[in-house]
Amino acid sequence: MASSLIGKTIVVTGATSGIGLATAEALARQGAEVIGVGRSPQRCQAAEQQLRGLNPAGRVTYCVADLTRQDEVRRLAEAVRGITAAAGRPALDGLVNNAGTFTFWLALTPEGFETQWALNHLAPFLLTQELLPLLEAAPAARVVTVSSGSHYHTSLNWTDIQLRRHYNGLLAYQQTKLSNVLFTVELNRRLGPQSRVRAFAADPGLVKTDIGLKGTPALVQWIWERRRAGGISPAEAARGIVFLLSEPSVRDSSQVYWKHGRPQPPSRQALDVAAAQRLWAISAQMCGMA
Amino acid sequence: MQSYVMISGATGGLGKAFAVECASRGYALYLTDLRAEPLALLAAGLHRTYDNEVRWQASDLTDPAQRASLFEALVAERLRFWALVNVAGIDHEGLFCEQPREHIRTILRLNIEGTLEMTHALLGLRDPAATFRVINVASLAAFYPMPYKATYAASKRFLLDFSLALREELAREGVTVTALCPAGLPTTPECLAAIAAHGWMGQITTQDIGAVAAGTLDAALRSRSIYIPGTLNRLLAALGGLVPPALIARLVGDRWKAARERRVKPLPPTPSPFDKLRACPERSEGAGSTKGGGARLPLPSQGRG
Repeated sequence: MASSLIGKTIVVTGATSGIGLATAEALARQGAEVIGVGRSPQRCQAAEQQLRGLNPAGRVTYCVADLTRQDEVRRLAEAVRGITAAAGRPALDGLVNNAGTFTFWLALTPEGFETQWALNHLAPFLLTQELLPLLEAAPAARVVTVSSGSHYHTSLNWTDIQLRRHYNGLLAYQQTKLSNVLFTVELNRRLGPQSRVRAFAADPGLVKTDIGLKGTPALVQWIWERRRAGGISPAEAARGIVFLLSEPSVRDSSQVYWKHGRPQPPSRQALDVAAAQRLWAISAQMCGMA
Repeated sequence: MQSYVMISGATGGLGKAFAVECASRGYALYLTDLRAEPLALLAAGLHRTYDNEVRWQASDLTDPAQRASLFEALVAERLRFWALVNVAGIDHEGLFCEQPREHIRTILRLNIEGTLEMTHALLGLRDPAATFRVINVASLAAFYPMPYKATYAASKRFLLDFSLALREELAREGVTVTALCPAGLPTTPECLAAIAAHGWMGQITTQDIGAVAAGTLDAALRSRSIYIPGTLNRLLAALGGLVPPALIARLVGDRWKAARERRVKPLPPTPSPFDKLRACPERSEGAGSTKGGGARLPLPSQGRG
């Protein structure tokens, strides 16, 4: 399995901490050329140093981008095109849409989107399509979007899809994670069975990350610190993602939702084809692609 | 003929929430704020998402010359407006005597001068075919004298009284004026928490900006004079009218002093969340952002984002 990643070029977003960093580490160790994405120049630099030590043979490049902003998503795609072209192989074998956030109070991005909606859903939606030509240039590319078991507890609120008027941070989070699966379903449907690109949604399980500690009220931090104590390590969670990127047999699977290297049925809402198409149309308009 | 909603302070936390809410209702918008780049970014995002018309112009509303040129541009473009949301505002928190005079001047120029001139100019450009809606972003601080925010709270009191008076002047001319008085920050109600002291105050008095923007527009369209988001906040405002102002000032001052002292002290290694909630140290710093001034805070963290 390890050999299947040697020389493969894979983009990982949110790759300076938590599941993203662990995934980037595992990929670098197994010989992949990693393009990591983070928001902070300092953390990107530190992660780049760390990963280069793991894989002296392969290239590790970090790009700084604030993926809550669509102009930055597009700029990142341009940078990735530049990096792959400069490396002499303008192709991508994998994209891990991992960057995600939880925001307790409603916050709007500079473009006027609810922050979780922008980062957790719109960024993967836009980045994947921006990078699609590169993915299609590889012999067998995979798009892994990190969803969550929290998607089981909700359905989309079509009248206020960003929950602006009745915001609840957790509900908004669940909706974006459901959107990740719907996006994956619709992407596969649009690509068709003949495509070289396959998309999967990964459920990392409960992982010991800092997601509930970043900018949340004390009570939320207190709850998350207790809740995550029962979770697995980011490195364990990353294994399921690396599996989806590297395991040959996964290619012909019709399963979209995977947890720890095993397919699982997502929620009934997540497999609703009409909902997936409706979400796609809404997202395309928000990204100026309609 | 197209008729616009003008929003000042449009790229700050609350201003952006108003812009998004108005755009989602299909209104044509005219946005203004200090800097061009955030305006362009927001306008593009809104236009993409809601397919409405969004115009914008950067302007420093503390500067009479820039205000004048903004108003001239509106006249030259022959624009007509049916609503004005005065969000632009600023706070510099701290002891009055320790404030540079520049800070005091800026609060008065933006919160009072800028708001009044904008209102005056836009009333002259109102769409004759529609009821003209003015929304002034005051604050729950308008109901109390506030030590450590003396100038800010008084400027918001000014806006509240001004709004109520203007509303009467124009009642028969198809103009309504609504003063928005949000708590937003736990500080003001926290101060009154001296009366009903328990640690959940910060959490339960704080309202999300999206709900505040939607609720305020609904209130304005129903011609309401004052809109205070949140039942508890309405109660706190009512209490403000019952307790003598000097006593309130003392209670508020005590709370603030305690909160400020707690803020400079290092936190214990594992603080109980309930202690932290009671103190609410961080959120008081975002001052203008939820009380309607985030747009102009010269801080990196404008508008909670």
